Amino acid sequence: MAQPATNDIDSDSLRRAAIDRSVKGPVLFLFTNGAFWLMASTILGLLAAVKHVFPDFLDHDWLWFLQYGRLQPAHLVALVYGWGIQAGLGVAFWIMSRRTGQELRGGHATLISAGVFWNIAVTLGILGILFGGSTSIEWLEMPKYLWPVFLICFLAYAWPMVSMFARARNPGGFMISAWYMLGASLWFPWIFITANVCLHCLPGLGAIGAGVSAWYVHSTILLFFVPVGIGAAYYFIPKVTGRPIASYQLARIGFWALAVLGGWSGMQRYMGGPLPAWMPAVGAASGVMMLMPVGVVGWNHHLTTLGKHNLVQTSPSLRFTFMGALFYPISSLMFAVLSAFYTGASLQFTHAWYGFQIVTIYGFFSMCIFGAIYYIVPRLAGCEWLSVRLIRNHFWFSVYGISAIVVTSLVCGLQQGGDMNNPEKWNLGFFAVVGGIKPYIIARAVAWGLITWSNVWFLIHLMLMVAGLGRRSSSPTLLPGHDIEDPMHNLTHPTHA
Amino acid sequence: MSSPSAYNPDTTDLDRLHPAVKREKIDVAPGTEPSPMWVIFLALLVAVLGGSQLGNVANFAFETSNPLAGAKLPDPRPGTGGGGAELDPMQLAMKKGAATYALCGGCHQGSGQGVPGAFPPLAGSDWVMGGTERNIRVVLHGLNGPIKVKGADFTAPSAMPPQGAVLSDQDIANVLTYVRNSFGNKGGMVTKEMVQKVREAEKARATPWTGAELDKYADKDAAADAPPAAK
Repeated sequence: MAQPATNDIDSDSLRRAAIDRSVKGPVLFLFTNGAFWLMASTILGLLAAVKHVFPDFLDHDWLWFLQYGRLQPAHLVALVYGWGIQAGLGVAFWIMSRRTGQELRGGHATLISAGVFWNIAVTLGILGILFGGSTSIEWLEMPKYLWPVFLICFLAYAWPMVSMFARARNPGGFMISAWYMLGASLWFPWIFITANVCLHCLPGLGAIGAGVSAWYVHSTILLFFVPVGIGAAYYFIPKVTGRPIASYQLARIGFWALAVLGGWSGMQRYMGGPLPAWMPAVGAASGVMMLMPVGVVGWNHHLTTLGKHNLVQTSPSLRFTFMGALFYPISSLMFAVLSAFYTGASLQFTHAWYGFQIVTIYGFFSMCIFGAIYYIVPRLAGCEWLSVRLIRNHFWFSVYGISAIVVTSLVCGLQQGGDMNNPEKWNLGFFAVVGGIKPYIIARAVAWGLITWSNVWFLIHLMLMVAGLGRRSSSPTLLPGHDIEDPMHNLTHPTHA
Repeated sequence: MSSPSAYNPDTTDLDRLHPAVKREKIDVAPGTEPSPMWVIFLALLVAVLGGSQLGNVANFAFETSNPLAGAKLPDPRPGTGGGGAELDPMQLAMKKGAATYALCGGCHQGSGQGVPGAFPPLAGSDWVMGGTERNIRVVLHGLNGPIKVKGADFTAPSAMPPQGAVLSDQDIANVLTYVRNSFGNKGGMVTKEMVQKVREAEKARATPWTGAELDKYADKDAAADAPPAAK
């Protein structure tokens, strides 16, 4: 194909700017509120970890609701619904409109209202949990009446994305990241409706209710958080490096393997439990086989980034996305170890499962979302990020904090499961085993403390940007590296296939 | 990329544009290389590992819920005839007895020396090393009143409380085995069956024993089927 004329590039820039303008309000709304809930979630996680070890901490009469049993679910609900799904929707929405080349034609008021109601629902949910109204169903602890609100708000964002995809003008090869966003926006409502109808509307579910709850948690991870994270990586790695996605075929294999395998997982959590044996067996099989799409996608990203590692140092977006893409195979490996019967029998019901949730939602998904936010917000807000130092702190505190939480949770799970299954330790009481893991929980508290610190600054940084108080400059905020590439350089030599 | 030329941008539009949008790199179509063969092989390997979760271990049955049901793996717990059956019963009793001894150690002390004048010692005690019939009765129902241990008088202002309601036969057997084989003591093993027999015989008793009442059991060992002393 011929080199595009300068005029085409100019009009292309204008078109992209028009798309950005059309989605600015809803996307920035979701990012800012998401960042607030992220900070709230890390503070709750810190408190929960401290309470786990020192129940007497902050033990005042008027703080009667601060207990580990309420803080831990509140922490995860804030992380999943307040931050994860909210910010994920923002990124998915922006990428979908960019990738399909569609402006948002209307319905801004609907989208903003849906965002407001989503946040009201998260607030009520967390207050409900803290004040004792928890349903005790993992990830669905918020009071029962809230789930239709969450569903309708989600659909308000999913519908425009689906219709954008239907009107897409780009040829198939460019749409890889849009597939994942489309998948996430269709799969999550299905999972959410199924789980809530089963758990809240069907009477007398019995033991299978636990299985449905585990299925909900892992399907949400594999069919919402994972596709949004991968979709963002598939968009931003080529965008920042200027290189094509290495292999279209690998991308297709990875997508369809995830789509086919993602919904079968979860019940292996109750291996040996009162469920028909085939249910945990299917879950374990798909949990192990998830290594396939993960390996394929990881290899594809690796090939795409090859030779551009200097950009990982300088570009904040690429650095976060790259780290997120690195955490993805780690999370999948952990999932396979937890799922397989050989190893899962020891790790069942231990802190290792918490480690898996955190490495997936924070290490992989959130790092990709951070990368996306560092890329998207300057375009929507019309100014550049203020401080290299804040970005760098955010990056290193997050990476070290998450790594610490994941490693300690995994080792803690090994010790916990090993102690409980070891005949030599059967003279120990259950509480002696629980008491033996204190050091790991203290390490977790320290890690959440570090992450909270970085998140406070991330929230402030983001709010300044959204308020339009960022740097007025034509040059991007880049992290120092040994070989800074001129960002304008590549534009004049496009390799247009 | 197909870009509409209908825009016909003028310079003011472009100048107003945020530079972040202008400096973006152009999208490139993905590579069309077929995926390498080893990717397929690795994927097959993963599929085999995953598939093994279905057949080998879990039995893939509707009517069982135990993933170990089809695997012929022995239950490792001792006493179930599985892998843990070889565990030496004496060692197991000593280990579990040591944990139960936490109940006794408050008065008799961790070293089994007791407290002179208040709590009698267990180390080298003729009461401990005497008949198991007496031992079991003391633990089951408690002991009141003055006794003489290792030549010292204990007028016992604080009596030994009964443990029969708190501890199972197995627990009592374990802790007695532990006491009779620790602190320099060297005695036989007390079994669950021995405790069971005594408990059965004294079913009606609700009050603690006195030293005098127990004298007739001083040298009587419970049930003849007691195993030999520790290996």
